[in-house]
Amino acid sequence: MAAQKSVPSDLYKCVYSFLLENKFTKVAQQFMKQTKVNPQDQNEESLVNIYNFWVKSPEAKKRKAPVNAEATNGPSAKKAKTSPESSSSEESSSEDEKAAAAKPTKAAPAAKTVPAKAKAASSSSEDSSDSEEEKAPPKPAAKAPVKQPPAAAAGSTRKKDSSSSSEESDSEDEQPAKAPAPKPKAGAATTPKAAVPTKGAAQKKQESSSSEDSSSDSEDEKSTKAPVKPAPVKKAAAPTPAAAESSSEESSSEDEAPASKKPKAGVYSAVPPPASIQKAPAAPAASKAKDSDSSDSSDDSSDEDEKKAAAKPAPVKATKAKPAVSKPAAKKQESSSESSDSSSDEEEKKPAAKVTPAKGAPVKPAPAKAAPAKEDSDEDSSSSEEEEVKKPAAKVTPAKAMPAKTTPAKKDESSSSDSESSSEDEAPAKPKTAAPAPAAAASKVPAKAAETSSDSDDSSEDEEEPVKAKPAAKTVTPASKSAAPVAKPAAKPAAKPAAAAESSSDSDSSSEDEEPAKVAKTATPASKPATPAAKTAAKTAAKPAAAAESSSDSDSSSEDEEPVKAKATAAKPATPASEPATPAAKPAAKPAAAAESSSDSDSSSEDEEPVKAKAKATAAKPATPASKPATPAAKTAAAAESSSDSDSSSEDEEPAKAKATAAKPATPASKPVTPAAKPATAAESSSESDSSSEDEEPVKAKPAVAKAATPASKSATPAGKTAAADSSSESSSDDEEEPVKAKPTAAAAKPATPASKPVSSAAAESSSDSDSSDSEDEPPKPAVKKQAPAAAKKPAAANATKAPADSSDDSSSDEEEPKKAAPPSKPAAAASSKKAEESSSDSSDSSDSETETTPAKPVVTNGKTATPKTATTAVKAAAKPAESSSSDSSSEEEEEANKSTVKPATPAKTTPAAKPKESSSSSSDSSSDEEEAPRKAATAPTTPTANSTNGKRKRDEESSESEEEEEMEVKTPKNKKAPTTPQTFPKANKKSTNVPFRRIVEEKVDVDPRLADNSFDAKLGANGDWGQKANDVLRFTKGKSFRHEKTKKKRGSYRGGAISTTINSIKFDSD
Amino acid sequence: MRPGFSPRGDRGGRGGGRGRGGFGDRGGFGGRGGFRGGRGGFRSPDGGGFRGRGGGGRGTPRGRGGRGGGRGGFGGGKKVLIEPHRHEGVFICRGKEDALVTKNMVVGESVYGEKRISVEEGETKIEYRAWNPFRSKLAAAILGGVDQIHIKPGTKVMYLGAASGTTVSHVSDIVGPEGLVYAVEFSHRSGRDLLNVAKKRTNIIPIIEDARHPHKYRMLVGMVDVIFADVAQPDQTRIVALNAHNFLKNGGHFVISIKANCIDSTAAPEAVFASEVKKMSVENMKPQEQLTLEPYERDHAVVVGIYRPPPKQKK
Repeated sequence: MAAQKSVPSDLYKCVYSFLLENKFTKVAQQFMKQTKVNPQDQNEESLVNIYNFWVKSPEAKKRKAPVNAEATNGPSAKKAKTSPESSSSEESSSEDEKAAAAKPTKAAPAAKTVPAKAKAASSSSEDSSDSEEEKAPPKPAAKAPVKQPPAAAAGSTRKKDSSSSSEESDSEDEQPAKAPAPKPKAGAATTPKAAVPTKGAAQKKQESSSSEDSSSDSEDEKSTKAPVKPAPVKKAAAPTPAAAESSSEESSSEDEAPASKKPKAGVYSAVPPPASIQKAPAAPAASKAKDSDSSDSSDDSSDEDEKKAAAKPAPVKATKAKPAVSKPAAKKQESSSESSDSSSDEEEKKPAAKVTPAKGAPVKPAPAKAAPAKEDSDEDSSSSEEEEVKKPAAKVTPAKAMPAKTTPAKKDESSSSDSESSSEDEAPAKPKTAAPAPAAAASKVPAKAAETSSDSDDSSEDEEEPVKAKPAAKTVTPASKSAAPVAKPAAKPAAKPAAAAESSSDSDSSSEDEEPAKVAKTATPASKPATPAAKTAAKTAAKPAAAAESSSDSDSSSEDEEPVKAKATAAKPATPASEPATPAAKPAAKPAAAAESSSDSDSSSEDEEPVKAKAKATAAKPATPASKPATPAAKTAAAAESSSDSDSSSEDEEPAKAKATAAKPATPASKPVTPAAKPATAAESSSESDSSSEDEEPVKAKPAVAKAATPASKSATPAGKTAAADSSSESSSDDEEEPVKAKPTAAAAKPATPASKPVSSAAAESSSDSDSSDSEDEPPKPAVKKQAPAAAKKPAAANATKAPADSSDDSSSDEEEPKKAAPPSKPAAAASSKKAEESSSDSSDSSDSETETTPAKPVVTNGKTATPKTATTAVKAAAKPAESSSSDSSSEEEEEANKSTVKPATPAKTTPAAKPKESSSSSSDSSSDEEEAPRKAATAPTTPTANSTNGKRKRDEESSESEEEEEMEVKTPKNKKAPTTPQTFPKANKKSTNVPFRRIVEEKVDVDPRLADNSFDAKLGANGDWGQKANDVLRFTKGKSFRHEKTKKKRGSYRGGAISTTINSIKFDSD
Repeated sequence: MRPGFSPRGDRGGRGGGRGRGGFGDRGGFGGRGGFRGGRGGFRSPDGGGFRGRGGGGRGTPRGRGGRGGGRGGFGGGKKVLIEPHRHEGVFICRGKEDALVTKNMVVGESVYGEKRISVEEGETKIEYRAWNPFRSKLAAAILGGVDQIHIKPGTKVMYLGAASGTTVSHVSDIVGPEGLVYAVEFSHRSGRDLLNVAKKRTNIIPIIEDARHPHKYRMLVGMVDVIFADVAQPDQTRIVALNAHNFLKNGGHFVISIKANCIDSTAAPEAVFASEVKKMSVENMKPQEQLTLEPYERDHAVVVGIYRPPPKQKK
């Protein structure tokens, strides 16, 4: 916030103008108060331009990397990159914003992106959003008071660094959470859109209710989200995501719109969850008070669900493509998540945002709540979660969130339900996240567990729903959605409406997801994402988040956490109705959140919370029931450990299962569960169990649905990813995504992927692209991960390829391969630990990326991300994003790795801590940031975008939800393993360094023949020398005996006879 | 010492009371008994022969505990003949068993328990101290047959790695009152003994500093003629070079004892020595000769060279 008072007044003006433009009146006022800046519109553009310029500048990446750690720069850089590259995310946001605007609901949202953005459409909007976000971060100082700043900062950071992003996401999430309340209203509204609007309203309310910051953020976000989502969704609905998708972002938004309901719901839900989460974390009080947050999230989810339901049909479309969808969804989700993030961001920005904001708001609020750590974490988580979720949904990636979400999402996606579910999931996730955050604060693991639980709940719900629905596939989804809605919060349904906001977030994600789904699988993915947003979305998001760990986790976490929290909270548990739980969770989360750190934190926090609460998981579950998803999530989370787990947990669990199974496919329920178990590892177990059940369901569903598509993906994934699976969340997401993409491309299984690809390529393209980009990014990361560059490249390639599929495929393949390669082995280990590197990295990447993205831009990012994707898709900016994402992801991955290491705890922590802890592996973001600083550099810059992208990609990849889920789970594990990733590096190094240290290389030393023998006998005049007798004794001695003999001679008893004075030395030639 | 403690002290008439001999035990001096009382009987006024002086406090090692009658270690007694060594300031005690000795600068004092040989030439009584090659690398080098040690009466020597001052005391004997020995030792524990040695020997300037940082004692040291190094550090060549750059006169000499295991225990000693010799060449230190210290030390070699030789080499 105030951190940068030193910033030149010039910037302040720009920021101020920017804020004003975006209708962040409250923030602007705050900002003005603190900075005493003279409002001048002059610089509006300048700020954006600056941002763009900055982003475009080669140094941006570097900056970002370094900055990563720091919210501001990193975020901006990343964002910048993202924005440019991923502009998609931005676009998405912009879209979201637009949507929001469009949606009337939040016309206010417009606030965010505001018109321009919306129009600008994606890129511009995104940029703007990004810029806004970025600005926000900077401003944050000013805004500081408000959560946004932090959130923004966090967001920015997140984006840049996942961790930072996490915060934002958290904030966003929180807002969403806040939104929840609104959602209820929205819920009343019923339709996703309605919901969204409602959400927006809710958000507004929340905002109003919630602190201005949060509110503003939340509102903005909400508004943004709402707008975006609505619009998107509607659009999507109408145009169909696909069509709309042309611009991925748009598509996402459109998708969302189309999916509008679903997507939106999903998106929103996704977002909301985060929001909710964030809120919860951020503004525990607020969130709590809001419950609504949780409820919101739930509402959102519910909204999403509803939307999904409504949308689902559309989503279904996506669903069809499930694979594709899943990916798309994933992408979308990511995007959505991003979008959601972005939306949340936007919402936040737009405070006024209102409905959309609601979602976003919730999220943002959360961030705000989380404010610092928690928020970050929450946000991150939320964002990450969202992203993750989305991704997960889409990619799986999110590993955690995604996994769960993905799965659900996928399934759901497959059915549009996913989107809803995702949205719901996300929402839940968010709640969880929130909870996680708190938990995270406490212990990531717990948080995770909690998250997972919560997530699992969400996810479970989502998943279950999705699964159920999914089984039917889309049908299921709807069902899931409905179920989810129901399940989640029972509230959700209601909430959904109310959720509107959430839904918005969810819807955003959902919408996006849905849209994507609709569009193609993208839609599905989107749906997932979105769904995630919604349930799946939510879940997904959560999962993704989880997967993303932080981000996804955050979402899922937030949701999960919330649930968890709820549980933990006790009351919250009740919430189960997802929201309540969520809220509770969030509150808790927030508290925890801080602890947790960002995404992981979210998830972690959730997990942790769960752990802490433990009950959480349980509670979550209970609550979950509705929340199963959540529970699952929680479990997942737990399992996943980090958010991804959580998110993924549900998904992850599946993934886990898959992992367990070996192949993610196996994932299916049992494995997933197992995975979950893994994720859950500790607390996870409990959460996992829940989640597992849910997950399983999802898994099952997925298997059926997703599997079909996913299967391919899974199969693909499995193959590669089995290992990938290891990575579970990420890997899963990646894998899934990859699979999806790859599959699409290559694989048959990929059907989904293909579909997704097609879709993605088609309208979704953007989404798919984004996804692909993400996936690519991720892949690269995974592969490169270690090598951010590679990642970047891949992303680029991927991006380039529009063929998201290609890219995604590539990336996926890459990722998969890497994952497989490493993963394979890891898988086993990974399973438990997650893959190490790849998976972890992947998962981490995905999750991280997502998370980061989310975090970084969380709000914005998400939106952006989403947008970026879209944009990316369209533009392929994705490439950059991807890169960034990849880099981000890598960073994330690393972080994740760290987290993974730490995993549960860490993850959660990481995320939460992430920023704070960064060091701690926990926050993948932070870790990634820190560790990956370099990577971050690359990643960071990109990260935002990349993150989102990655997340998306991963998700996309994972998108083959099943795969993703599996992967996610795996990834999650990976995430958990994240450490592994690091390990990988070390290993590599070690390999190279097996040569013992030698000061003197005998081979290189020329020894004078005369000096070739240093022995006494070789010496001139040795015979008859005074020392000959000693030599006779000592020559046979060695070591201790030599010492002993020599000591005896030192006493003076030695008698050597006559002493000669001859010269026995060897002269050098010189003489 | 302590009342009840009388290991072998019984016999000595004097022994007694000092806690600690002249200077602490030196590291590897295991068996040094503490105080063996003076062997009263043994001091031979007439000149030859070593005398264990109780006063010194430091019992000699015991190898032969009390040599009862006059036959001490080196043929005790009268038949001892001292002749100068090729290296100025170093003497050889010819007797039943030859021994390397230096003229004791502080008559009546044994630094580390070494045997002393007193010789009366006419009116003057000259005391020599036995120099055990197993305890001193410089002595080992001399016994091994090194061509030049460049240490002779009146020279200023920088001794790096002085340790307890065992060898430093002999160098101090060699350079005599006209010379100076800058004894650099980084270990405070060893430095304590070194200080005790320096207390009795005015030509020793103890410096307890790290030889790697010559600037820390630059104000204490003037230009020197020779640097003797026994630091046993991986970078000892660099350390010597640093000090040479700071204190060694052009055309001055260095004598470096190299312990192969300290530089690289995995490489062949010969390779290590060759490597070190090469390093010296890079530092304007021109190695002139190398000699193994077998059998007195294991895997050791001593390298003697010249620093910044004048244009016209003195071949």
